[in-house]
Amino acid sequence: MCMVIILKNLGNRPNTKLDVMTNNDSILRFVYSTQGVCPPEIHFKINKDILEEVRFVGGGCPGNAQLVARLLKGRPIKEVLNYLDGIDCRDQTSCPDQLARAIISAANGDLKPAASFRTHQDMGSYTKVGLIGGLNGNRRTLEKLLEQIKAMGVTTVYCLGNLTGQSAKNADLIKYFRKNNITAIQGSLDWQFAQSEVTDHLPDLAPKDRDWLLRLPQVLNFQMQNKKAIAFFGDYIQGLPGFSDFEPFALEMNMVCGLTNFMQDETVFPALEAMVPQFETDIIIFSQILQWGHWHVGGKDFIGVGPAENRERLNWGLLTVESETVHFETVDMAA
Amino acid sequence: MAESVKVLPEEIQDIIDVHEWDMRTREGVQRFRDLKAKSLPSVALDEDLMYESLIPMQEELIAEIRRRYDEKNQGV
Repeated sequence: MCMVIILKNLGNRPNTKLDVMTNNDSILRFVYSTQGVCPPEIHFKINKDILEEVRFVGGGCPGNAQLVARLLKGRPIKEVLNYLDGIDCRDQTSCPDQLARAIISAANGDLKPAASFRTHQDMGSYTKVGLIGGLNGNRRTLEKLLEQIKAMGVTTVYCLGNLTGQSAKNADLIKYFRKNNITAIQGSLDWQFAQSEVTDHLPDLAPKDRDWLLRLPQVLNFQMQNKKAIAFFGDYIQGLPGFSDFEPFALEMNMVCGLTNFMQDETVFPALEAMVPQFETDIIIFSQILQWGHWHVGGKDFIGVGPAENRERLNWGLLTVESETVHFETVDMAA
Repeated sequence: MAESVKVLPEEIQDIIDVHEWDMRTREGVQRFRDLKAKSLPSVALDEDLMYESLIPMQEELIAEIRRRYDEKNQGV
């Protein structure tokens, strides 16, 4: 383990140093995969025995679901279960029934608390991957880039957030993503859109589109030959409730975001080099600062993904692994 | 690195507070950046970054701690 050691208060009797740290460990977040109802997931939080928050995600009747969530918020679990008991919608279950099952599972420990961020593992192994970043809600840009990427024989494409922008066109872009089943990684603005009640400063977005954004992976984990790779947006993940520095990939994120300022501060690369032996991955891809780049430090490859469109040019990144060597280039085309 | 501090003589241990930062944590990284450190391991005394990428000889570290102690206690 590497560390910094501070010796201080020299010259006086040592002070008693009392560090008091608090956290919100009593609030647990759960994600329940439903069966037989329209929304595929129910997200909820429990604080001791109080239901703090409920959200039916990915389908169903958004108005009714919101009403149910508001009515149940802040109520003791026992009371909530009384309300939910015996409601059928179809096939002998319903959204309330599924919520009841979810709460019971959480209470008896069968349903474990959710990780602070959502990770998706792509089970394939690739030699070439196309990377697209910062779409800013622009469907046409995505279509053009995909066309060129396909023409170059690259079949795997990952789109890193932000997918959305301060644009009224976001819904059109999301529709295209859904229709074509394109792998996307959530950005900080996408996450803000996904929060149902914090959108005053953002353009309108339908509940189903917000739900789609909410369910996006925040970290994508994939394999390129013998190399493990992750792709993520940036430091908003570290601010998510319950984030721990010791979760999988948290070290990689901390080194990229916190230590090196997204690889912009080369003076700390010696420290980065000392830390990389503890990494779980070999290739670390990020997109927050909207700059293309490739750094090779301590045997690991760090890839910065820039914006899809810049000064009337379109860009994407081609990541290749050949004979255990990582190559990265940006491909440029007219907008 | 922490071990080299732990084995300091008791009279030196009595006049120092030791704080070990874990670079895997956001808090540790923030402290590292505050001190403008560049590499690991690093040792700072009273917020002054003194040793980087090396473990100081015990005598050297003790001498520096004593020097600072004496400086602070002049006229006390």
